Amino acid sequence: MVKVEIINGPIDFFPLNDNRDQDGAEIVFNGRVRAAEYDKIITALEYEQYEDMAESELKKVAEKTVKKFVIHDLFCKHRIGKVKVGQSSLHVVIRSKHRKEGFIAMNYFISALKDRVPIWKWAILEDGTKIPSDCTSS
Amino acid sequence: MIKIKIKCFSQVKYALGKKELVLVLKSGTTTQEVEKLIRKKANRNLDIVSFSVAVNKKYISKSLVLNDGDEVAFIPPVQGG
Repeated sequence: MVKVEIINGPIDFFPLNDNRDQDGAEIVFNGRVRAAEYDKIITALEYEQYEDMAESELKKVAEKTVKKFVIHDLFCKHRIGKVKVGQSSLHVVIRSKHRKEGFIAMNYFISALKDRVPIWKWAILEDGTKIPSDCTSS
Repeated sequence: MIKIKIKCFSQVKYALGKKELVLVLKSGTTTQEVEKLIRKKANRNLDIVSFSVAVNKKYISKSLVLNDGDEVAFIPPVQGG
């Protein structure tokens, strides 16, 4: 099963499931905002999305991952809007029969997400300036 | 003539100072021609930025002729996660 959601606000994490008698592995990934982007201290990141297209692409990537690997569930929540340092911006749960395919699928999914889903980060610097995160080093 | 909407994100928004633009163009204009126009409007600030292109919220793999009412986005490298 695939569930994806783009949300503007804190992530309500997917509950762990202790009743999965066919899944030996439940892998959880939380991506958090670091205190620095390109060597600049930041207070938060602000995530911008291309509305509708971001969720649609996220779903496509999740469905492709479930087809490509032997996994049963892939659940994902991605935040948009302002996310303070230390908070989670991305939450993914993968359930699979064995851990190996779960870890490989997780790595594939996150890489594909970072390649395809139209979401961008703006760095909020200590003085409140907001700039696209790629420009923080300039 | 056709009227199209350009959605601006990340570095495109930063360079142009706008979330979106509406352009009136001659019929037969392609995405490649509009990309050149956008890069020109950005005064070389997008010269080193590569784009994927989306028309009506779907990625396209090669330049195509735009239709009246199309929504176009020149998508800088994405940064989710």
